[in-house]
Amino acid sequence: MSGTQRQLVAAVLLRRAGQAVGVALVVSVLCFAVVRQLPGDAAYRIAAGRYGDDLVDADSAAAVRAELGLDRSAWQQLGDWLVDLLRLDFGRSLVTSRPVVAEVGYYLLGTLQLTAVALGLAIVIGGLAGVLAARCPGGWLDHMTTAWVALVRALPPFLLGLLLILVLSVHLGLLPAVGHGSSSSLVLPALTLAVGLSGLIARVTRDTVVEITRSEHVRFARTKGLTERLVLARHALRNAGVVLVPYLGVQAAILIEGVVVVESLFAWQGLGHALVHAVFWRDVPVLQATALVLALLVVAINTVVDLAVLGLDPRPRKREVLA
Amino acid sequence: MSLLELRDLAVRHGDTALVDVADISVKSGQALTIVGESGSGKSLLAHAVMGTITTGLAVEGTMSLDGVHYDLADRANRKHHWGRELALLPQEPALALDPTMRVRDQVAEGAPGFRSRRKAALRRAEDTLGRLNLGHAARAWPHTLSGGMAQRVAYAAATIGGARVLIVDEPTKGLDRDSLDQLADLLTEHVATGGLLITITHDLHLARKLGGELLVMRDAIIVERGPADRVLTTPEHDYTRRLVAAEPSRWQYEWLASPLADATADPAAEPLVAAEKLAKSYGDTELFRDISLEIRPGERWALAGPSGVGKTTLGNLLLRLGAPDEGTVRHHNAVAGGRLQKLYQDPALSFPARVRLTDAMRDIVRRHGVPPGRVESLMATLGLPESLLHRLPGQVSGGELQRLAIVRAMLLEPALVFADEATSRLDLLTQERTMDCLMSELTRTGCALLLVTHDRELATAVADHHLRLDQAVHPVAVP
Repeated sequence: MSGTQRQLVAAVLLRRAGQAVGVALVVSVLCFAVVRQLPGDAAYRIAAGRYGDDLVDADSAAAVRAELGLDRSAWQQLGDWLVDLLRLDFGRSLVTSRPVVAEVGYYLLGTLQLTAVALGLAIVIGGLAGVLAARCPGGWLDHMTTAWVALVRALPPFLLGLLLILVLSVHLGLLPAVGHGSSSSLVLPALTLAVGLSGLIARVTRDTVVEITRSEHVRFARTKGLTERLVLARHALRNAGVVLVPYLGVQAAILIEGVVVVESLFAWQGLGHALVHAVFWRDVPVLQATALVLALLVVAINTVVDLAVLGLDPRPRKREVLA
Repeated sequence: MSLLELRDLAVRHGDTALVDVADISVKSGQALTIVGESGSGKSLLAHAVMGTITTGLAVEGTMSLDGVHYDLADRANRKHHWGRELALLPQEPALALDPTMRVRDQVAEGAPGFRSRRKAALRRAEDTLGRLNLGHAARAWPHTLSGGMAQRVAYAAATIGGARVLIVDEPTKGLDRDSLDQLADLLTEHVATGGLLITITHDLHLARKLGGELLVMRDAIIVERGPADRVLTTPEHDYTRRLVAAEPSRWQYEWLASPLADATADPAAEPLVAAEKLAKSYGDTELFRDISLEIRPGERWALAGPSGVGKTTLGNLLLRLGAPDEGTVRHHNAVAGGRLQKLYQDPALSFPARVRLTDAMRDIVRRHGVPPGRVESLMATLGLPESLLHRLPGQVSGGELQRLAIVRAMLLEPALVFADEATSRLDLLTQERTMDCLMSELTRTGCALLLVTHDRELATAVADHHLRLDQAVHPVAVP
């Protein structure tokens, strides 16, 4: 790694670290504000979460309010949370009383497992279809991938998930329909997400590979006498990566943020699942920590994408140098 | 002695013949150069020989190399010769290099035995680059190279496989004279060491330097052939005569710069653009400093110099399209409101690619309240049929599109036009036509010109005021 390269990496890390701090502050305050705006008395909701809906009365709600200091002013509560955040103390869940770190860590693991497997599957299915379609633009496989994109994009994930359950669990009995923990229970939710995503990836891969194989430098590589395989490995893949990596980054972020429906459908315990329940039970510490982790994950993905593109493509991104 | 022969070579699109050539032979030790304007079919001929021609075109004919015959209709039968026997130096070397790979690796991958002995190939690439005075650039990325350097890197990459037959396709686009001479030396050396060379170009200077046999192509056929020095000094065919006369040093027009003081400019007039002590650097590289100049109404200025010295940057500063590091640029009221126009090097990039030309023009007419009928009358003056307007920019030839850009600029009755290498990508005849259109319009309207070019002859022919930027930071002002 050359000196300038190291400087560029440092610049990326510094910028993204700054962003992470800013995002953490904004998300925390926003979460807090949103929870205060929710209708209903938070003390009653928390009490219902702890003792069950039937056992809640004014006394238990008052006990919760006094215990958690919910009658303090909003500024005081926000200030306490931010100070705790600085000390990396996320507190305990208002409902389960377990440490928030353990709680959120458990859900984070679920989300990461699901995202990684879904993204991996989508890249394999979509990337393969895209590369094959690009070998013969306008051919039957190309038309098939176009139809595939339209089909899977038109299917909402819950419907796709139900169809997969029907086929793979109910009829063929290959996989468990719902659950969390075993590796086989991961397959269905991951497959649901991956199928929906694979169409888009196939399309973008196909367009990118077609464009690159028609580019001047790939043609020149061929007339230099390189075999097709060398042309693909040395020139096409790397240049395709420059386009595809940022796109996959965006898709990874969407996967992490937007899997609530699929997690609920398959009872998979991830961050989306945790977020919904925390909102429902007014479990503010869990809610804030979950939102914070989601926001930081996006920053982390962007950092990885930045570094990957920096490694793939040496061209400067500032206009100044090109003029 | 090697010999390459082409017989009954034809390229067709439907019923139209794009190339129709009875026989061409290339001997080792003698360069073969094909000249002609864009669209004459000369590039198609090169790609038909190589086997890289687009699949939509039908090819006929045979090629024989040292007695072995190849059917040109079969694109694939020469593929195993690529890089070993047959090499192609592509147009636009800057685009032919992979932007994500270091120069040395791109050169090395063409070396024989690259797959099994990578170290040896890399060493050989470094040797080759060293011989081309590019040893320092071995680990550079392509975007850091100048046009001339990129051309020599591409040459190294194309020839490292040891191919005897080298086909060079329009190598001069956008190259300045010094880089061109260096390339000519490399090609001459290839011929001198027994190689076979076919050069496709519209640059007569290069054709003259290469010598050997010259073919003049027009509308798919060869109209004249013979030794280069004979054809270029005493052309026989009408078309060749016009081609030779199209070099800027031989132009004959009323608007040419005269050695006498120019009549249009009034030294007492207030300057349209006044620049004082301009300086600009990019990173650690200082382009220029202490440049002061004043452009008065009707004056014609040329900024000349090799590529990469900051000519375009200086022009943009004068138009206030960029900010100088030091110094000031003042504009007179006469150039306010779009009366200061720029013509770009690549007209295809200066028109929106997916908008019909008629819509692109109509937007300008509406925005600036141009009187109706002005587009049509200007197009008629510049010899452009109105039907062109119904096409997309990509469906119009480069020369026509640049003339449309002139129409677009002149719509606003500018007081100053900045022509940034506006004709350097066009062939000689098209360049002559385009410059004639531009200069006639400028003369008619008394508009001033700021011309950026690396072509000294063009600058001399057109401008009364010259500013040369050289590698040295300090400019040389020539009155």
